[in-house]
Amino acid sequence: MKQNEIISKIIERFPSAVILITDDKQFSITVDENDAVTAVAYMQMLDFKQLAIITAVDWIEKGKFEIVYNLFSYEHLQQVFVKTLIDRKNPKIQSISNLWEVAGMYERDVHEFFGVEFVGNNDLRPLILHNWQDKPPMRKDFDSEAYSNKVFGNFKKEKAL
Amino acid sequence: MNEILTFLGMEDQYKKYELFFGPNHPGMHGNFSYIMTVEGHNIVRIDPDPGLLHRGFEKLVENRLWMQNISLIPRICVIEPDINEAIYSIAVEKLMGIEAPERAQYIRTIVLEMARISSFLMGFGGIGGSTGLYTAPYWTLADRDYFLDLFEWLTGARVYHMYILPGGVRRELPSGWLEKLNETMDYIQKRLFEYDKLIYNNPLIVKRLKGLGKIEKDEAIKYGITGPNLRATGVKYDTRKAVPYAAYDKLEFEIPIQEDGDGLARAIQRREEFQISIDLIRQAVKMMPKEGPVRVRMPNPLKFAVPKGDVYVKVESARGEHGYYIVSDGGRNPYRMAVRGGSYTAGLVYAQKALKGMRIEDVALWMATMDICPPDFDR
Repeated sequence: MKQNEIISKIIERFPSAVILITDDKQFSITVDENDAVTAVAYMQMLDFKQLAIITAVDWIEKGKFEIVYNLFSYEHLQQVFVKTLIDRKNPKIQSISNLWEVAGMYERDVHEFFGVEFVGNNDLRPLILHNWQDKPPMRKDFDSEAYSNKVFGNFKKEKAL
Repeated sequence: MNEILTFLGMEDQYKKYELFFGPNHPGMHGNFSYIMTVEGHNIVRIDPDPGLLHRGFEKLVENRLWMQNISLIPRICVIEPDINEAIYSIAVEKLMGIEAPERAQYIRTIVLEMARISSFLMGFGGIGGSTGLYTAPYWTLADRDYFLDLFEWLTGARVYHMYILPGGVRRELPSGWLEKLNETMDYIQKRLFEYDKLIYNNPLIVKRLKGLGKIEKDEAIKYGITGPNLRATGVKYDTRKAVPYAAYDKLEFEIPIQEDGDGLARAIQRREEFQISIDLIRQAVKMMPKEGPVRVRMPNPLKFAVPKGDVYVKVESARGEHGYYIVSDGGRNPYRMAVRGGSYTAGLVYAQKALKGMRIEDVALWMATMDICPPDFDR
């Protein structure tokens, strides 16, 4: 299928989706929070078999987290981002670990670095940061300099020898 | 007494024990650990434990200027740093709507293929090291040094080159460099036949690798396994062909595939791709425009901002699809950068399935044939 055929299929199924074309091999779909998992499952049905990565973007001014599902199809050679905006105060979204087993690990990663709760994923143990006490570090309001000063001592105030 | 012994044997907790494979294990590739639950010699459960190499690149790039990041991101991957520079540069170019000059595209191709070869050489050594054939790592690492010498001459650095920049490459090729590159290619071509004798026709290696960690086609796609490991299962897909970048769309090459999907197929696949890389470098040197700019004029690095937008750029690394998802909010530094490492899914998720039932001594070898690289997980 060509890119425009895929897009027309998506519009037919999700009339409210906002579609943005990056180039002839890449485009993004922004759907409603409740439609996100359905949209990802629909894309999997359209032969988008590879889940490249799940990631999040912190739009702190809007008060939203953007969850990005990055899929690729070996048949159509198209890269697609399925995006959805969720509330930043109570970030919760349905897990897709039943669609792809690898999704569980990416969700664990996003949970650790952004504090997003994936409902239905029962393995959200800490992965990379050992004994982390602070707020999730990839959030925009996490100040890495302040954290460093708190944990490793204040480097700026020390006098040079 | 008998009753107690039977009771102990029935209890699972006395039958199984926990073994830490890594980070201080000679068979482990880098700072990473598998916590294995073993029963006798067989693995029942495996739990990956990454994090010992975490340097927080994704956060660090958010606080630095677009141009400053060039000196930071090659450090994500030690063995093959050039792919990171290439992805980042291509992503910035795509967001800004500029294109590198043709000569720069060819130079990028040559540098990327050289990095690929040096990564493959490291991998060959890994296979030799974990089968007890210690001649292989000595040979391959010595040959890899010829490539590091070339890199040093070209870029001034042996490991982290910072050569590919947004808008082209840092500087023109030094005079005499291409001749030296051709000489090195002739040399490595001769050595490749020696490697065939030493590694791929060696009964010891063939016996150990045959049937090790067999992957099915559908399984490989489902678990996000990419690159040579995917092609070893019979899927004819290569990012260089399918979504071309640099000068790959102008070069002619055929992607080899294997059918078996086991350790031997993966090793042979890498050896075949080694030959393809040599051919690609030779072709690129021949087809490269003799003169022309290697870099477009870019705005002041301290002031330039990248237009709003997001893009995912991926390249074919020696370990598979390496990609960045970069978001810009129109500011002077990246708003978000997510790294998709080539062996992330293979090492963290697929390993839990594949290593179950395997024997302890095969873990290091499985990791060598899958080319698992811990910097991909930790970033």
